[in-house]
Amino acid sequence: MSGTWYYVFTLVFFFFDYFILAMGLNIQYGETGILNFAYIGFVAIGAYMTGVLSLPSSAGTGQYYILGLSLPFPVNLLLGGLSASAFAVLVALIALRRLRTDYLAMVLISLSLVLYDISNNYVPLFNGADGLYNVPEPFAGALHLNTNSFIPVFAGVTGAIALLLWFVMSRVTRSPAGRTFRAIRDDDVVAAALGKDVFRQQLKSMIIGSFYAGIGGGLLIQFSGSFNPTAWLPGETFVVFAVILVGGVGNNIGLIVGSLLVETLLVHLPAFLPAIPGAPGLIEYFDAVVVGALLMAMLWFRPQGIVPERVRKAARMGARERPADGPGGLVGEDVAALAPAGARAGGRAR
Amino acid sequence: MVLLAFASVEGGQGQGMQLFWLSVGFGLVTASVLAISAVGLSLQFGITNYINFAYGDFMALGAYFSYALNNELLHLDIWVATVIGSLGMGALAVLLNHFVLAPFARRFHKTFYVLIVTFGLSLVLLNLEYSIWGADVRFFNMSLDRAHHFGPVLLTTSQIIVMGIAVVTMLAVHTLLKVTRLGKSMRAMSDNTSLAMTSGIDTKRITTITWFISGSLAGLSGSVLGITEGNLTPAAGELFLFVIFASVIVGGVGSIYGAMAGALLIGLATEVSAAYINPAYKLDIAFVILIVTLLVRPSGLFARPGRA
Repeated sequence: MSGTWYYVFTLVFFFFDYFILAMGLNIQYGETGILNFAYIGFVAIGAYMTGVLSLPSSAGTGQYYILGLSLPFPVNLLLGGLSASAFAVLVALIALRRLRTDYLAMVLISLSLVLYDISNNYVPLFNGADGLYNVPEPFAGALHLNTNSFIPVFAGVTGAIALLLWFVMSRVTRSPAGRTFRAIRDDDVVAAALGKDVFRQQLKSMIIGSFYAGIGGGLLIQFSGSFNPTAWLPGETFVVFAVILVGGVGNNIGLIVGSLLVETLLVHLPAFLPAIPGAPGLIEYFDAVVVGALLMAMLWFRPQGIVPERVRKAARMGARERPADGPGGLVGEDVAALAPAGARAGGRAR
Repeated sequence: MVLLAFASVEGGQGQGMQLFWLSVGFGLVTASVLAISAVGLSLQFGITNYINFAYGDFMALGAYFSYALNNELLHLDIWVATVIGSLGMGALAVLLNHFVLAPFARRFHKTFYVLIVTFGLSLVLLNLEYSIWGADVRFFNMSLDRAHHFGPVLLTTSQIIVMGIAVVTMLAVHTLLKVTRLGKSMRAMSDNTSLAMTSGIDTKRITTITWFISGSLAGLSGSVLGITEGNLTPAAGELFLFVIFASVIVGGVGSIYGAMAGALLIGLATEVSAAYINPAYKLDIAFVILIVTLLVRPSGLFARPGRA
């Protein structure tokens, strides 16, 4: 396989993977309004757990890590996703219950830095600053894949998983739970006054979103075969935020556009450019500056994103819900109807 | 034989005490750096009512300004360079507020937007630092330090100067807030912005001045952090950020005196613990204290009524 195709499939993989990551953050931030600045920490937990579950026992490998159960591919990935969810429960119980937005954001960003610090320094857990490497490639043995043919196959697998997760997520966002999430995002006091247990719903949203984070992280470590702590500094969380804010908060089509534009074209395509002689890393640094600046410009000029959230038709109070006429059909949005006139449906900026 | 064993236990205890007092000295130095940075962050939070997530990068950038004046441009004395570099960071903070943060804060009422903008600003500033100065560790150009004994505590000349700077800064902030008209206006604005505005306080001017002070204190704390740590990297400020957050939350967000007390507590706790646990995790102790505070007294030690 030629080098060009190798690059193309790498980009395809990152596109699908960041679509999954963006869906996870979108349900937390875009749908429920939880400003999860520690998102990349959940991705890393998913990645590390997927890694240590598929690696053989650490004795004699030159690396130090827990578990080492040699589990086959989809099982370790699933458990990686579930570990991220379990961690989300712990975080939510301590932080989410009692803190308002900016307090919570401070605690979460601190958490993100502390997780980085611990994984970077505490070798017996995930091999310290070296990170995990030589993680077995899934299917490689069964399908007789070599390093080159593995990449398109795994990009395809990731695509299939992304589509499955998209289907699940669109069911979630259209369900009554999804409407409750958006009600909390728009005004948590109103949602609480209507008898919704705000914390319980936020917890639910954190668990679902973190599962997606864990799956996305697990796919990352399976794709590249390695993962180290520098991959989860808070700046990485920002890239996922950029994906959903550029594409459009609160809708899954927007996330596809965002993943394509931000992650694939802006973050990963420049990584294939030849380095400028005498200035290693300059392209990468400059690229990050561009991503940050683009996001600010986007927030200013088009805060609703490239694909805005559909303004859901508000059903009148007491009106029967319209039958959903196929995918994309109108769904009665009772939240907007129940909320007082001042509260708006949709995530648009005031 | 028994005597010998007794003597060695005695010696062990003496060493333990010595280590303890040494770490107290380091703790006071860390607390000094923390106090300057936490007060800078709190002042700005009190006025604008949102957290500046780029504050760690303000610190690093201020330190690099000092570094440039000290090593690259004018070859100034490190302390002169620190003062000028910090004021330069203050000026930059004013510009960033005027052209980036203030427009967003005016336009969007939800805190989300401006928090994400400060987060984005952090990414931009960090990578600008990397682009200009690279990822290599840099060192300030300063004369060799001499050690001084104060009873059991051992401190170098530069550590004493850093502590002096912190004390002077705290007294200056206290005087500013309690005595001057500007400080009274700042306190009024922090309590209730619209009421302050209707009372004839020029809130825009106060906000600008606050950003200048906050940026200068960020630059100052970043520079003295570089001096006490002995080196400088672009990510230094960002990694220090959660320790500042811990001080601020433990003290009570928005309370200046709380930030000072929190800085003292966290500074001593991190350094003293480093004498007993692996020093690589000393900063994580700050996070543990943060979590305990959240569980026991989420509004902090010096909570302001009606906040958090």
